[in-house]
Amino acid sequence: MAGGAAILQLRSAQPASGECDLPPVPFDLELAAGDLALIEVRSPAWAAEFADLCSGLMPLRQGSVSFLGRDWAAIPETLAAALRGRIGRVHGGGAWIGFAGTDLNILLPQLHHTRRPPAALRDAAAELARGFGLPGLPLTRPGALSASDLARAALVRAFLGEPRLLLLEHPTKGQFADLVAPLLNALAAVRDRGAAGIWLTGSDFVWNDRSFPATVRLRLTERGLLRLRLAA
Amino acid sequence: MSGASAPPAPAWSSAMLAAIGRLVRRRAEFLLMLAALSWGVLSEAARPASWRRTVRAEFRRTLVQAAGGGLTTTVVTAVLTGLAMVAETLYWLGVAGQGQLAAPILVTLLVREITPLLIGLILLGRSGTVVVEEVGGLRLGGQMRVLAALGIDPFLLLVLPRALALAVASFTLGVVFALTALVVGFVAGSLLGAVAGSVWSFLDQVLAAMRAADFALFPAKLVVIGLLVALTACLTGMRAGAGDDMARLLPRGFVRGLVAIMTASLVLSLAA
Repeated sequence: MAGGAAILQLRSAQPASGECDLPPVPFDLELAAGDLALIEVRSPAWAAEFADLCSGLMPLRQGSVSFLGRDWAAIPETLAAALRGRIGRVHGGGAWIGFAGTDLNILLPQLHHTRRPPAALRDAAAELARGFGLPGLPLTRPGALSASDLARAALVRAFLGEPRLLLLEHPTKGQFADLVAPLLNALAAVRDRGAAGIWLTGSDFVWNDRSFPATVRLRLTERGLLRLRLAA
Repeated sequence: MSGASAPPAPAWSSAMLAAIGRLVRRRAEFLLMLAALSWGVLSEAARPASWRRTVRAEFRRTLVQAAGGGLTTTVVTAVLTGLAMVAETLYWLGVAGQGQLAAPILVTLLVREITPLLIGLILLGRSGTVVVEEVGGLRLGGQMRVLAALGIDPFLLLVLPRALALAVASFTLGVVFALTALVVGFVAGSLLGAVAGSVWSFLDQVLAAMRAADFALFPAKLVVIGLLVALTACLTGMRAGAGDDMARLLPRGFVRGLVAIMTASLVLSLAA
């Protein structure tokens, strides 16, 4: 771990049984500013639920989950919502409001949580979009975009603003290998600014990449999070 | 006291009671949730912090869709009502020599009853179904959970602006409907030779025939009906289950909206 104040802290956090498919075992994880955890998780449902657990959206049987030093269970819902605005998340199962344009979908969290002028947000989003290989901020409905472009748009939404934590559920799912390099560059930039990240992957391509700049490698199993090292 | 215990109830009666109980619980649950949503809308609408720019944008979009999109339908329906009801009333009361009763009858029928009912139906068909489709689609697609993960309260973003926009649209369209129907009816009645005088004196007579309670009842009915159309549609969409699809949700939302419109209209008429 990089040291310093914890961005995310799971202390024996055990999901309430019956509330989700995650194994009902205690989860422990601590990420400081600059940390990047690579977690191998084969089940998309588990990935989504683990991200929910980190976001304070999962009822706990015991233990606690804290983000920026605040225990999700101990803060009012309005504060929790504001804190979730500081989490950039790529959702694995599609996360688009079909009746709005992709641009509005991307800008929505920032428009909701901040008072930054829309023009400045659009400029920042367009720059991110170009960085991820899109020609600009996509204006069409999400349903009209290809899966590859939607994956890039999801990254733009996650990185827009100044997220303190990135929760990336299978961000390169669909084998968009050309996305990995710009994504790692963007991750490096936000980590330098003091954010932490969790990359949930089921891809051997990512998991077996020895140059992947993870500060910790974990595997999500029936027994919880197992810390791993790559074989020599 | 006898030590003998009561004989167990037959299985069929237990099953029947359980079925009735389930039905009552399900119906009561919907009504209680509707009441809770209504209270939530009223209390959150009064908080400036609720009106973030995303909520304001949704309010504008829904208002344009409901009021702007429903305007033509409202005017056409009002013209037909003016010809079929107002002109006929003026004509036949004139033939019967009871022309002085025209204004009180029009106030009772057109302003108090027909206008809120027809506007409710127009809103339900044009906007309520859209709300069911939008909110139900988000629910079925799992995007409600996504909104929560983004720190956006689905109630604030989806329910509050839609409820208030439909309430405002209902009042606006109701005023347009009543005025159009009266003016068209008057013009048609004049062409038939059933009425004399100017349109202003006719409107003056209608206003004079309205009781004080009518001035409160007319806007109250329209606002409540608009609110209920939005809330029943939102609730139908938000309570969509795993086995639901749009083919089930839309008729369910329509029927619930229809019952809400009729009930609100009846209750407010009886209360006035």
